[in-house]
Amino acid sequence: MTSAVSVRGLWKRFGQQVAVAGIDLELPAGKFIGLVGPNGAGKTTTLSMVTGLLRPDGGSVSVVGHDVWRDPVEVKARIGVLPEGLRLFERLSGRELLAYSGRLRGLPGAEVDKRATQLLDVLDLAGAQHKLVVDYSTGMRKKIGLAAALLHNPEVLFLDEPFEGVDPVSAQTIRGVLERYTASGATVVFSSHVMELVESLCDWVAVMAAGRIRAHGTLAEVRGDAASLQQAFLELVGAHGRDAGTDLDWLGGGAR
Amino acid sequence: MSTDVAGVTGVVVRLKLSLLRNGLRQSGGRRAAYIASAIVVLLFAALQLLGLIMLRDNAHADTVVVILVAVLALGWAVMPLFFPGGDETLDPTRLVMLPLRPRPLVRALLAASLVGIGPLFTLCLFIGSVIAVAHGGLAYAVGVLAVVLALLVCVALARAVAAANIRLLTSRKGRDLAVLSGLVIAIGAQVVNFGAQRLGSSGLTQLDPAADVLRWVPPASAIGAVRSVSEGAYGIAVLQLALTTAALVALIAVWSRHLTRLMTSPDGSTLQAVAEAAVRERNSTGLARLLPAGRTGTVMERSLRYVWRDPKTKAAWVTSLAIGLIVPLFNALQGTGSIYFACFAAGMLGIQMYNQFGQDTSAFWMVAMTISSPRDAYVELRGRALALLLITLPYATLVTALTTALLGDWPKLPEALGLSFALLGAMLATGAWTSARFPYSIPQEGYKNVAPGQTGLAWISIFGGMIAAALLCAPVIALTIWLHVSEDGDAWTWLLLPAGAAYGAATTWLGLRLAAPRTAVRLPEILTAVSKG
Repeated sequence: MTSAVSVRGLWKRFGQQVAVAGIDLELPAGKFIGLVGPNGAGKTTTLSMVTGLLRPDGGSVSVVGHDVWRDPVEVKARIGVLPEGLRLFERLSGRELLAYSGRLRGLPGAEVDKRATQLLDVLDLAGAQHKLVVDYSTGMRKKIGLAAALLHNPEVLFLDEPFEGVDPVSAQTIRGVLERYTASGATVVFSSHVMELVESLCDWVAVMAAGRIRAHGTLAEVRGDAASLQQAFLELVGAHGRDAGTDLDWLGGGAR
Repeated sequence: MSTDVAGVTGVVVRLKLSLLRNGLRQSGGRRAAYIASAIVVLLFAALQLLGLIMLRDNAHADTVVVILVAVLALGWAVMPLFFPGGDETLDPTRLVMLPLRPRPLVRALLAASLVGIGPLFTLCLFIGSVIAVAHGGLAYAVGVLAVVLALLVCVALARAVAAANIRLLTSRKGRDLAVLSGLVIAIGAQVVNFGAQRLGSSGLTQLDPAADVLRWVPPASAIGAVRSVSEGAYGIAVLQLALTTAALVALIAVWSRHLTRLMTSPDGSTLQAVAEAAVRERNSTGLARLLPAGRTGTVMERSLRYVWRDPKTKAAWVTSLAIGLIVPLFNALQGTGSIYFACFAAGMLGIQMYNQFGQDTSAFWMVAMTISSPRDAYVELRGRALALLLITLPYATLVTALTTALLGDWPKLPEALGLSFALLGAMLATGAWTSARFPYSIPQEGYKNVAPGQTGLAWISIFGGMIAAALLCAPVIALTIWLHVSEDGDAWTWLLLPAGAAYGAATTWLGLRLAAPRTAVRLPEILTAVSKG
């Protein structure tokens, strides 16, 4: 099995707080990979370092065999990124954003425009293509960000919380595009804290908590004997058995 | 019914007081700022009250008073547009869930508006105005009525404007406008300053015709009535008072209508999205097709679009363009100018090259993802510099030519242009380098241009850069001086135009060359620095 992404001893510290505490990970190529973990587990920090947007304190990352920090020319052309919490050039219209992004990547203008039209169509953004991105809803922003990430046909796609705050219709559209993309042999790495989503989409999972990888492997391996990924996850991160118990026993029903 | 109305009024006035008090309780800094501003305003109010009383019996007293009142009323009209968040009771949509009828609500909100430093200041000024122009018991009696009427007109004006614009103020376009409004004040201040200087030289008589008109415009007409009574023109006084009252009634009617509509229709912020669904197609302009292909043209196009579409960038550009024009031109007009002031335009516009990546905000990641070598970074920076030059070169040339024309000093045009171009080149070079070395965030909301904690960085970037730019220009400046002091050097000053231009171009090229590798290796650090706020 060849790896799409290979991470060795990755570290990141913000002041006193260790965000990522030494990660080793081999992500298989051609799979739909989910990076799951609770809020603050270090998913965004990890993805930022893997994509070259944040400099690690230690460790190395290589994507399709090229080191992210020593060989950016090879890596940046092969990856697409949809970060979380970073803006887009929002004073451009959706179409202008794609035209800008594609041409910055050195694609010929006519090709960019052709691909942009198709992506806008498939992602259901054709009606809003001339509206400024600043006036887009959350779901539309995620979709235009995804379009910009796919425009240069990358080998590996990194998506940070692509379904966060997205309505069900847009989520289904995004899902459809991603499934078609991985079916062609490309790799998708996405982070999420919604287990049901990861369980239904991914064939390979890495579980993260407190800056470390707690488990990784195919969905079946990580799930093990547990009834669902949710159960397995709660056991892994040690949140199991924390029942509401007798607290809040006044809540709901009966006497006010 | 009347007790009910009094009840609502009391509640809303108390609400206003609580909001004021709670706002102050939030932080010590805010409390200190409020108290300090209150003291300053009250001192100022007392001083101008004193000044107006001393103005009594002055020949121009009524002119000054009428104009002051009119300007203050204008301030009341404009204020809610600039400071929409200033008064929460100003936003009646917050009261929308309460079962209130329009009439008591209008009365209550009007009463609440009278609470605060602003109304107190206005009251002081109006009282001073009446004292300045009133002669005789009857005039004072009319004065009391005039003050009350004028104050109510001001408050109703502010409320009516705010209610009419609340849909605008809660929409994205409105907030964009608010960012721009700060610079309207800045540029307006320059113009007022210039006007005041002219006035100082030619006296107050110039204002008399304006005052004659304003005497009939509410709320200044109320103060006009006081003077009319003092002069025995009772008919005119009654007319002026009637006019003021009519204005008050009309304003309240307008406000009340807007209020009813606001309270019974959906919130403007959600309405906007639907209304804007049918937007015109944004075609690439003719200019865009003239830009070079590849990354250079792409970067230039995006930069130029942002000058127009991004409120922060636009505000910065308009400020630079205006000040770059006003300073050399107004100085030349006043006869105190020098042709070298024309370099101000180049200097002001060159500042736009500073903190290039900060202007991108965290969207810089999109740029960072496509820069994988110093060459990419060089093309990126060069594209941004070219976009800037596309506006700056013709503009600096125009300003220099205009200044020269005003001073009539045509022989000095080539050297002034040469100096401008050299300065522009130095600013671009230092701007590119500091963009890579000292990037900082520009918050997108509000008036601030630096994120908290990065002020030092911004200062190093801008002032260090400007000093470096001035030093970089030293050879051209030295050459200029040398040509002027040497015996027949004046015949050769035309040489400064090509020399300055060439020097500027070379400095820019060198600056971009030095900045590019720094940008390429510091991409994650730059992204972190520009992503705050």
